[in-house]
Amino acid sequence: MEGISSWFEYLSERWDLVFTALGETLVYVVTVTLAAGLLAVIVGVATRHHAFSKELSLAIASVFLTIPSLALFTIFIPLVGLGFVPSFIALFLYAILPILRNTTAGLEAVDPSVLESAKGMGLTPGQTLMQVQLPLAWPVMLAGIRVSALLTVGISAIATLVAGGGLGDFIKSGLARLPLPNSLEAIWTGVLLSVLLALAIDGALLILGRFTTPSGIRGKSKSA
Amino acid sequence: MTSLALSAQPSRRSRLTTWGSEQLDLIVTPILALALATLLATVWFYSDFDETTSRILEPSELARQAYQQLYLAFFSTLLVIVVAVPVGILVTRENFPSVKDGLVTVLGLGQAIPAYGLIVLFFVWLGSGALTVIVALATFALLPVLRNTIVGLEQVDRSVIEAGKGMGMTGFKRLTKVELPLAVPVIVAGIRTAVVINVGMAALAFLIGGGGLGETINAGLKLNRPSAIFVGAALVALIALAFDFAGGLAQRYLRPKGV
Amino acid sequence: MTSKGPEVSEPLIRLEHVTKQYHGVKEPAVRDLSMDVQPGEILVLVGPSGCGKSTTLRLINRMIEPTSGHIYYEGEDVTKVDPNALRRRIGYVIQQVGLFPHRTIAENVATVPKLLRWPKKRIKERVDELLELVSMDPSIYRDRYPNELSGGQAQRVGVARALGADPDVLLMDEPFGAIDPITRDRLQNEFLRLQSELRKTIVFVTHDIDEAVKMGDRIAILREGSEIAQLERPEVILTEPADEFVENFLGSGAVLKTLTLRRVRDIELAPMVTLRKPVHRGQALQAMSDAGVGTAVLLDDQEHPLRWIDERALNSSERAIESAGRPITVQVQPEDTLQDALSAMLTTSSGMAVVVDARGKYLGGCTIESLASLLLTAGNGSSSS
Repeated sequence: MEGISSWFEYLSERWDLVFTALGETLVYVVTVTLAAGLLAVIVGVATRHHAFSKELSLAIASVFLTIPSLALFTIFIPLVGLGFVPSFIALFLYAILPILRNTTAGLEAVDPSVLESAKGMGLTPGQTLMQVQLPLAWPVMLAGIRVSALLTVGISAIATLVAGGGLGDFIKSGLARLPLPNSLEAIWTGVLLSVLLALAIDGALLILGRFTTPSGIRGKSKSA
Repeated sequence: MTSLALSAQPSRRSRLTTWGSEQLDLIVTPILALALATLLATVWFYSDFDETTSRILEPSELARQAYQQLYLAFFSTLLVIVVAVPVGILVTRENFPSVKDGLVTVLGLGQAIPAYGLIVLFFVWLGSGALTVIVALATFALLPVLRNTIVGLEQVDRSVIEAGKGMGMTGFKRLTKVELPLAVPVIVAGIRTAVVINVGMAALAFLIGGGGLGETINAGLKLNRPSAIFVGAALVALIALAFDFAGGLAQRYLRPKGV
Repeated sequence: MTSKGPEVSEPLIRLEHVTKQYHGVKEPAVRDLSMDVQPGEILVLVGPSGCGKSTTLRLINRMIEPTSGHIYYEGEDVTKVDPNALRRRIGYVIQQVGLFPHRTIAENVATVPKLLRWPKKRIKERVDELLELVSMDPSIYRDRYPNELSGGQAQRVGVARALGADPDVLLMDEPFGAIDPITRDRLQNEFLRLQSELRKTIVFVTHDIDEAVKMGDRIAILREGSEIAQLERPEVILTEPADEFVENFLGSGAVLKTLTLRRVRDIELAPMVTLRKPVHRGQALQAMSDAGVGTAVLLDDQEHPLRWIDERALNSSERAIESAGRPITVQVQPEDTLQDALSAMLTTSSGMAVVVDARGKYLGGCTIESLASLLLTAGNGSSSS
């Protein structure tokens, strides 16, 4: 079809730009997921014994998701300026909840009799956490990480509005130049590549999950 | 359950805690909103706005934009409910299991489409104007409501439905008197999520000439006025938080007694 | 060492005036309990639900901390020792087993040795040794995962795991409670066999008085607050209950329960007429009339008993002999109690039960007469053999 071939042409002419945009988005996804993941897991582990602080941290994390993306991206600008930083902050705050919620739920779901026998055999609380609880909660946690990563890909398109780069740049430039030639292709580039990137990341994490889950517990936990 | 929409929700048995995250939600949200509002008020009343900023932040202008945003959010939510709930009901009737699975998968994948891109695409297809925005927003909010309708109806205890059947209730009666009421909490949760998404996404309406408070933010960005940016963003955030809070209350009080 | 009745020596575990009081609860879970556990014995804690027996057990390895009082293990005050180090010296088996689902059977069994940093080779040998001990072929089960096991198999692994670092003491909290009665019986027998080899010191909690009588060298019948109503050898408790509480707990079948004290291996097995395929009718009938019995046992080529063949079956020419008679559905093992043997005999309605060893090979038969004569010669009162 004409449309598709013209799109491929468009892409190949601007391969370096496409590459840069993909790279920028990927940078967001990787940095945000790592940072949010680290924080979420630490908080999840730290609050695992205290119901109140656990629920409180979940409530706080979920409030962030309520704030509209445009607002969260721009509200810190007076403090940190434009570009990567406000985008990172907003994406970071969004990415916390899915991972936190799944870490909490995953740790809660560990069979109490397994914990009892671990203690009875003489594992210290730290050893129980590292050798038993986290490995057993890992599939659920990974599902949360997947959601976070996908969320980040989708929302990162808005970064373009605050000069943060990413695939949103194509959408913005396409919109600005409508109905000039190649504007449609630009928009589609932004949209389709986001979807493809999301699918690729999802697939990669799924494979990671396969490799890091011992067969004894495979198939026990399902993501949404 | 707060919002099912954006996250993987592994099943977990609810414990009897005195402060569940639902209740805490109703506390944390207002606290944050209050803090933000205070910050906003401080900035509003105590900063010296230069002329450009004052023009951008003309109260009547802000009010108009807010109104626009709410108008768009309202109608798009209405559209979503009118489409998603019936489809959700239809698809959970016994004849359509594979349709349901296929639908949910497709819509799930659709979540990967950036909202920004979706709005722009709709603009390309449908031109500018309120209707375009409404349809675009509705599409984006479709998944949470549809999925929650499906989940809500499916989690109704089969034996209660059987009992209704045994008493001679027709399918329709069972639906309206048994299934829907019991599915209400979950469906309302989905609608609440959709409302918040819509209110938030409506801020992007300015991109395609739809107005809304995004215009203030955009003006601030274009003209490099940080205070204007902040005020616009804070207002958008506050409206979203307010709706989320209201939704939380609705969820709490619309729950049928005994569920 | 004698089969029942421990030597009186330095107690391995001593509880001195131990109390456990939970906040906000009026009555203490354990009130002023003093008790000794002798090395090499199985001490059973038994009592109604909520009496505190599990709590008492868990005080010993400090899963729960005592509110007051002292607990001594091998002479040391347990509260002065690092709890994790303590627990690595004590084996702990619970009802739901609690195997790590994300680790193989071998890794599960190796848990404590690994914690104690045994060399790899020694761990591997130990794991294989333990799996053999609990009758689970290592070559099959080493690399399986817990979710592939049945309840009975899981608990066997649980016991193997508890024995991992060769502790002197095992604490067992209703270990066979979640298992079906048939498998439970088998596991109890196997465990007793194991104990006769290993001679560990075991504190065993159960709510089932029959299990207590079967398993225990001494039984502590506990009231609420873990108060000891009677602590004695089973035969003493059964024949001389200390008070009404104990009597009620034993239930009306206390006298019959003495049947549970003796085991099939205490009876002399009657040699029965055994037949092997192919069965020769004339010879079989001759053998049976020589022995003066009306029924014979058909064995397969692995010496497993298959069917009861009586005279009538041999005489009827309608069917092949090998499918005549009745199939043997109930078998009895030497570790089974006389009660088990009696019910086996009653099901066959021939007053006989066939006895097999651990692999199912025929050993002999026991008859109601031999059972009765054993009981009658023993007389009432405590027996010690």
